[in-house]
Amino acid sequence: MDIVLRGIFVFVFLYVLMRMIGRRELSSLEPFDLILLIVLGDAVQQGLTQDDYSLTGAFLAIGTIAVLQLVVSYANFRFPKLRPVLDGEPIVVVQDGKPIEKNLKRERVTIDDLAAAARQQNIAKIEDVQWAVMETSGAISFIKKSGS
Amino acid sequence: MDVPDQIDLDRHLELAGRGFSRPVRWVLIALTSIVLLLGLLNVFGQHPSTLVAESAKAKLEVYAPAHLRGGLLYEARFTVFAREKLNHVVLLLSPGWAESQQLNTIEPSPVAQGSRDGDLYFTLGPVPKGQVYRLFLEFQVNPTNVGRRRADVALYDGDTRLLSIKRTITVYP
Repeated sequence: MDIVLRGIFVFVFLYVLMRMIGRRELSSLEPFDLILLIVLGDAVQQGLTQDDYSLTGAFLAIGTIAVLQLVVSYANFRFPKLRPVLDGEPIVVVQDGKPIEKNLKRERVTIDDLAAAARQQNIAKIEDVQWAVMETSGAISFIKKSGS
Repeated sequence: MDVPDQIDLDRHLELAGRGFSRPVRWVLIALTSIVLLLGLLNVFGQHPSTLVAESAKAKLEVYAPAHLRGGLLYEARFTVFAREKLNHVVLLLSPGWAESQQLNTIEPSPVAQGSRDGDLYFTLGPVPKGQVYRLFLEFQVNPTNVGRRRADVALYDGDTRLLSIKRTITVYP
């Protein structure tokens, strides 16, 4: 029972934490982020199973997290009104070649970040972008102006 | 200017109806920070504190953490100062000291150990006037040992109760 309760707590805590830190952090995976991810995984494991090395313990921990993930995913699909809370919503960051400053600021994205993301999509100039949308994953989708 | 599918300019550009999300995020960040601050202030253990009880015959000091977390290794130190000659020093610990905790070692080994009316007793032997006796107990908390329990300590000389210290230990998950 203890491991299942720990699993539920860890899942809810991580879910809220991920929603709290914002999508900008989720989208980037710099070397330091990768190290943080490993450290985070190790810290979570310690709290989750502690000194339990059993296969049963691992099954309960993994099973709890998998079922909760399924529940969240189903709730997202079944109840559209929950999506903004559970998954977030896309944000338009460029309209007709013009960056939307207040939306960029809200997501802590600089013009440099935006330009870098555009370059990765083979777009040299922001002004060639009709729409740029920051998705719930943190990735930025670009739709070019027709003819550019 | 075609708007991409599923993009609502009011909601996704002007952010209409999303005013609550920023305050909620800041409240969550503040709550998390408060918990971290409490951790820094030792609310969740395991910094030890000293409790003292004194009488004309002896003084007893207990140096141990009152707040713990599952899996932690920690030490409890009991110091007996004999102001008069103590012939048969006995330390009595309430069962909370051993409940779901691994007692890894006791140094120095007591002369005798046993149970007295459900409490743990350690016979330490005689302590001459002006001398000090220190007993070290090393513990590890079982991860499932969550909650609060009594961890009182009493000092006896034979069957005579000299001093006692009331305390509790709280174990966080």
